[in-house]
Amino acid sequence: MKTVRIGFSRRTGRAMVVGLVAASLFAACSSDADSPSTATGAPATGAPTSDAPSTDAPAKQGGTIVVGAEQEPDCLDWIATCAGSIWGSYMMQITTIPVVFNVRQSGDDWLPALSSIMASEPVVTAGPPQTVTYTLRSDVTWSDGEPITSADLKYTALQIRDGEDILDKTGYSLIDDIATPDAQTAVVTFTAPYAGWKTLFSGSSGVLPSHILEGNDRAALMKDGYSWSGGPWIIESWKKGESVTLVPNTNYWGDKPKLDKVIFQFTADTAAAFQAFNSGQLDALYPSPQLDAIEQIKAGLSGANVEVQAASGNLEALWLNNASPGLDAQPVRAALAYSIDRAAIVNKVYGPLGVEQPAQSFFPPILSAFGGQDFDVYVRDLDKVTSLMTGDGWAKNGDGLWAKGDVVASYRITTIAGNKRRELMQQVLQEQLNEAGFGVTVANASPADLFGTLGPNGDFDLGLWTLVTTFPDPGLSYAFDSANVPSEANEFSGLNLTRTNVAGLDDLLRQVDVEVDEAARLAATQKIDQLIAESVTSLPLAAVPNILLTAEKIGGPTSINPSEGPFWNLEQWALVG
Amino acid sequence: MLRFATRRLVKSVPVLFIGSFLLFLAVRSAFDPLAKLRQLRDPEVIQRETERLGLDRSVLVQYVKWLKGFVTGDWGVSVRTSGDVRPMISDALVVTLQLLVPALILATVAAIAVGVYSALRQYSVGDHVLTALAYIGLAMPAFWFGLVLIQTLAIWPQRALDLEEPPFYFVGLHSPGQPHSLLDTARHLVLPVLTLTVGLVASWSRFMRSSMLGALSSDYVRTARAKGVPRRQVVVNHALRNSWGPLMTVVALDAALLVGGLLITEQVFSIPGMGRLFLTSLLAGDVNVLLPWMFVTGIAVITFNLLADIGYGLLDPRVRL
Repeated sequence: MKTVRIGFSRRTGRAMVVGLVAASLFAACSSDADSPSTATGAPATGAPTSDAPSTDAPAKQGGTIVVGAEQEPDCLDWIATCAGSIWGSYMMQITTIPVVFNVRQSGDDWLPALSSIMASEPVVTAGPPQTVTYTLRSDVTWSDGEPITSADLKYTALQIRDGEDILDKTGYSLIDDIATPDAQTAVVTFTAPYAGWKTLFSGSSGVLPSHILEGNDRAALMKDGYSWSGGPWIIESWKKGESVTLVPNTNYWGDKPKLDKVIFQFTADTAAAFQAFNSGQLDALYPSPQLDAIEQIKAGLSGANVEVQAASGNLEALWLNNASPGLDAQPVRAALAYSIDRAAIVNKVYGPLGVEQPAQSFFPPILSAFGGQDFDVYVRDLDKVTSLMTGDGWAKNGDGLWAKGDVVASYRITTIAGNKRRELMQQVLQEQLNEAGFGVTVANASPADLFGTLGPNGDFDLGLWTLVTTFPDPGLSYAFDSANVPSEANEFSGLNLTRTNVAGLDDLLRQVDVEVDEAARLAATQKIDQLIAESVTSLPLAAVPNILLTAEKIGGPTSINPSEGPFWNLEQWALVG
Repeated sequence: MLRFATRRLVKSVPVLFIGSFLLFLAVRSAFDPLAKLRQLRDPEVIQRETERLGLDRSVLVQYVKWLKGFVTGDWGVSVRTSGDVRPMISDALVVTLQLLVPALILATVAAIAVGVYSALRQYSVGDHVLTALAYIGLAMPAFWFGLVLIQTLAIWPQRALDLEEPPFYFVGLHSPGQPHSLLDTARHLVLPVLTLTVGLVASWSRFMRSSMLGALSSDYVRTARAKGVPRRQVVVNHALRNSWGPLMTVVALDAALLVGGLLITEQVFSIPGMGRLFLTSLLAGDVNVLLPWMFVTGIAVITFNLLADIGYGLLDPRVRL
């Protein structure tokens, strides 16, 4: 599951979120990282909840649109740690950096799809050693007319594998060698089997132009913006704090953009952004599904097309520290799960957007094919709570809380301070758990503290944050493999913050990481979901819906790609009417 | 006067250094300059950066090194953006001043006018109305008032008059993708400046009123009136002039604080000024930006205090003694 860090205001808030870098990232920013997500059983992907986009209206050639952007990226050196902003990716990476695999919808699923720079599907040999042979088209070029070649793949791979200050080396660190027998062919040889090879040169990395960057300081050339492109758009300007302007790449080999210019204007305040959208200052918004945004949409927006996507890649969950006293026992965790009315929480928070059903798997909707519905047994049942707790030797004390010996079932619940939506969730959880005999106190923290200190040190009991998936690969070992519990052994780099350690789970997780056979991989992921549900190491709550608002003057097939964001097909957007 | 100003300036220097050292201590103890790098879990990188930044040395040595860099223009590199800090802060400062200067001028003029009017017509209907408005202005949070202004001065007129665009903009300081023009900037500035001004006028007008009332009831005013000096002349030349001094001090102190304190107004109107830079850097734990940011705002506080002292000295020669 390839993910990136989200910033504070969306997905920032990305961000503004301090997230965790690895195969995936937990996002709990105020903005959120709360990025897009989905809820199993929720409305179909891309289904508009109000007026559908006027895609049938005749599209004009040319024109400018202004899009409100919740978050400004810190830098544009996409493979560096400073580039963790999902909004940066939406605005400028997806539109200018070529990739080997895009993420496209296939039926109900979002799957890796070969991009247009590729001549054919990569050829994988299981080995050992495992190899992947990439064959590029000969007629695809960078904006300066230079061809996109295997040297670009090699340059990118080695920069990530050997570079310092790299955002995510997952997979690249397993590359033993990359050969380039000719300009169109690159052969990657791995030191160990790597099932997630499709994430390479895709998702958060892409392909970088070696003829421009090799031998130069890549970070210096890219971090403040770059004038080259391998996508349909070129970055005309990035005025820090103000806006980003994209113009068409006239040398793009594919369909060229219809618009003359797209301006992303940074709008930090959600309420003001909605008013700017209402007044016509902004032509499109992609707001985090925070409470104020939901309220605005609920109140109605005139002259707007509103698309709510339930099938996203972000999963909000209640993460249980399996090492906390009491929570180290499966019956207690199960009792906690039976104490919570997840449907009520989801309905309260996302109901106005039409998302009412809780998630029943740790694979978000974008990966729903890999998971099951194993958590659907956990429906609020206080009799079952009593049965489980008393069966494990607990009894209620004078305060009405479960206690066993010196241990009282009273827990801290932690999320990012200032995230109103999660704070509302906390309040509901607090109420429900108190009624079931669990004490709950709110102990929120900054993203840096939560993911940099509290999480790695295990200094939390219950956590509320979002798992962000940016590429549809089902690896979950980073979050649930016991080897990834932060410890001296891994220099506290592990992301298994919940200290999950379930018999048999590690082997399955590792199988998914190395199994190249898709059917075998699928079987393993479904067993993983089942085991996690049985052991209740944590509890999925909901996928966070994506919301795209466009003015009626915008046509073309506007839609949300849960992996690549709402501007994945920006070249097809046009003014209509 | 020059001697007085020099004396004040000299006194400010140690204050600045002591303040900056305390700030350095506070920021260093609250933030880890290597926090971001620690996420990479690479001990070699951590060690190298520790040595490069001198974090293994005493706080005093670190401070001296940092201060030397600051004075020579090397403000370091942002942990968050990997960009040079100096242009980040100078750009943000310029933006904030674009907002602050017109707001201060407008608020000062309005506060004096309102304060003088209320003092001259104490307990009149006009005084009661202005007093009530001042309390409302003081009670209104900036983020709420900003949104109210957006709705009433931008959205409603646009709808009522069926305009293609609102009369005043409220996102940023310029229309993106268009050449900067005075009119465009003015249309962007009106609402944030008003948001800022109302609170300031509310506060300062009360201060001006009290100060003016004190002056009007003083012996020298009574004497001047008894000697037959016209009321207008007494008000302007005697009472008003003696009431400006205290107000000027308040204005200077508030202005200094506002250099770094426009966080909410800048957030609501998406203005990339000092307040937003502080918030972003704080949330990212970007110590390399926070330190010079605080130092610059500290310099602003001391500078405005100095200006207030000099101004007060100009208005009231007694303080120069």
